[in-house]
Amino acid sequence: MPSSTDIRTDIRTDTRTDARLDTWLDAARDTGHLVAFRARTVRRRRAGAVGVVVVLALSLVFAVAPSGFDPASVDSPTVARAFASIRGNLGATFAGFLLLAVAASVGSGGGRELLSRSEAAVHPISPVTEHLGALLLAPLNLAWLVQMWGLLAITALVASPEHLLGAQFVVLAWVLAATAFGQAVGWAVEGVRRTARGVLAVRVVGGLVVATLVGLHLAGHLGRVVGALPTTWVAATAQTSGWPLAVLVLLGLAAVGVVVGARPAAWALGLPPREELRVQSGVHEARPAPEPRWGSPDRALLRRLDRGSVWRSVGMRRGLLTLGLGPGLVALVAGLEWGSVMLLPGLTASGAALLFGVNAWCLDGKGMVWRETLPVSAADVFDVRALVVAECMALCSGVTVVLALLRNGLPPLVTGVAVLSCWLVVVVQVLAIVMTWSIRSPYSVDLSSPRATPAPHAAMAGYAGRLSLVTTLTAMLFTGLTVLPWAWVPAVVAVPFVAWSSRRLVRARRRWLADDERARVVLTVAAV
Amino acid sequence: MTQTPAVVVRDLHVRFGDVEAVSGVDLTADSGRATALLGRNGAGKSTTMKVLAGVVPPTSGAVTVAGHDAATDALGVKRVVGYCPDVGGLVPRATPWEHLQLSARLRRMGDWEQRGRDLLERFELGDVAHRVVGGFSHGMSRRLSVVLAALHEPAVLLLDEPFDGVDPLGVEATLEVVADARARGACVLLSTHLRDLALEACGEAIVLRGGNRVAAMEAAELTGEAYRALLD
Repeated sequence: MPSSTDIRTDIRTDTRTDARLDTWLDAARDTGHLVAFRARTVRRRRAGAVGVVVVLALSLVFAVAPSGFDPASVDSPTVARAFASIRGNLGATFAGFLLLAVAASVGSGGGRELLSRSEAAVHPISPVTEHLGALLLAPLNLAWLVQMWGLLAITALVASPEHLLGAQFVVLAWVLAATAFGQAVGWAVEGVRRTARGVLAVRVVGGLVVATLVGLHLAGHLGRVVGALPTTWVAATAQTSGWPLAVLVLLGLAAVGVVVGARPAAWALGLPPREELRVQSGVHEARPAPEPRWGSPDRALLRRLDRGSVWRSVGMRRGLLTLGLGPGLVALVAGLEWGSVMLLPGLTASGAALLFGVNAWCLDGKGMVWRETLPVSAADVFDVRALVVAECMALCSGVTVVLALLRNGLPPLVTGVAVLSCWLVVVVQVLAIVMTWSIRSPYSVDLSSPRATPAPHAAMAGYAGRLSLVTTLTAMLFTGLTVLPWAWVPAVVAVPFVAWSSRRLVRARRRWLADDERARVVLTVAAV
Repeated sequence: MTQTPAVVVRDLHVRFGDVEAVSGVDLTADSGRATALLGRNGAGKSTTMKVLAGVVPPTSGAVTVAGHDAATDALGVKRVVGYCPDVGGLVPRATPWEHLQLSARLRRMGDWEQRGRDLLERFELGDVAHRVVGGFSHGMSRRLSVVLAALHEPAVLLLDEPFDGVDPLGVEATLEVVADARARGACVLLSTHLRDLALEACGEAIVLRGGNRVAAMEAAELTGEAYRALLD
């Protein structure tokens, strides 16, 4: 018969368990309310529904279509080598997704927010709700989507047809587990960042991690280390009849990740955001007005203001650094060849544009009205903003190309011309698209928090999908051109692309120059 | 000889989609005088101010600011106007000094630094001149908006809710700016809900209701009862 102490302990344990369960149920209910609230604010519902269908359809295509490809049917040693490399690196690709999930969560200060900080301030939203919201929003990220599609496609390519279904279940379970784990790590890092000297600690540890990876790579040990990771077992088991075990293990890990992640979320969200507060109270000593050798001083001053708005934002600075170094390091460490590297500039340029370029005027926030009262031509304002957006995109994608150059050395002439042409095309392409969107669909947003996005989540998902599709298709075209013996072909093919995008950019500029259109953008962005 | 008013608005209409924010406002404001623009929320005061500042183009009607047509010469209007918007009005990640520098350089002001420093000191913003404004309180942002509007000693000074959330010292400094502007012959238009402060700052008052002008009078004539009656 149990003693009275045992009974009391049991009651206490039950009460605590019930309370925890209630916390989670309340958080799940609140997350539902927040999602419903955001869903009701979606302006173009039909476009949103189409977007969801397109993402699901593309996921299905990537999960199935490559399965029909038989490398033996193409009598090419290059294709055979590439196929063997993909098969051998499947475990590393799984690990890469985890790395991405961690980087995305760390970069966005723990994860995206369902309601902005100022909107959420008046509501009783618990850290667990914030955590669940961030998990739900994790897929609305270009890099997450592209990596997931990549993982599905590669798995479909290497798995035998009889094990394809099981292998793709493993991929989906891995995606869930990695996202939950990445989220937990993201909150923990954000918590550390919010402690005294935490920013320094995170930077030092981050630097050490990168240096270790590069060191291992240079010493020739990285492949062995990555091969020894459990992801190799996951990748191998996925292609056998033992896949249900892998799915069960991964789903269990995902559940653990979700539950455990609530702890660091509560810790991090209970601390003041030191880095943002430091930026907001930071002193920037006066500099003399620029006296450029070329161009007008007015434009130089506007450029300085716009650049300051980008680089003084914690979220944008962090995002640009992650985008600049992340894909490049992947190219460096994973040993991506030029054919694969060609995809990266478009994707990194798109990622940079998604930091603020898709709603380029939001850099000014409520100051947009004051900016509009300045006696400067609207054309100058547009040109400078477009230049600053282009700079950010070119910088991120340029670092990727340079790091790939370090890994692969100088490419053959035709490949080199194709890479440069593709880079130019995707930057101009993305610039034209995002400047058009910025004028057509402006939003009032406060980007002071790194968890904020420049447009509502549904719109961001649509933007990410469209940019990734356009730039990936463009890059695939230029990759195809590298098999030709004529180096001039990629440059010639780039001309109509650049011309078309330039025309689109000019159209957006013309729209901005119209007084009533500009007034609409200004009043929307400033929310007045 | 009669002097042409600095601000002339004739039958101004401003439409945003299906919403008519201003429907047929007529008003004039003279140089060397301060005119209060009063009315309830949604009366069209801020939209009228934005048209006068060259930010929003008029849908129809004639608007002339210091001789510049707001419909065809918005850039000219911006050169002669100093505008404190009703909400925000500051670029979040720039410092007050950077705001002043941009405004002064674009208006081709030569020695602006001393005046900028004096204004910042007068509004007790000297200590935060090099901090980004994203961390400012609402009152500090409002004070800086008034400083920016006054920096270049504009011919037409437009102040939209300049007292909103501002402490008594800030209110005093704003009243001084209005008095200085009147003294040097500028036209001041001041929009506010605070009748008492409007009367203190301005000699004339215009009351808007539902996008229309319903009264124009000497400020002293606008008693509490009269104002209340005009709002209903």
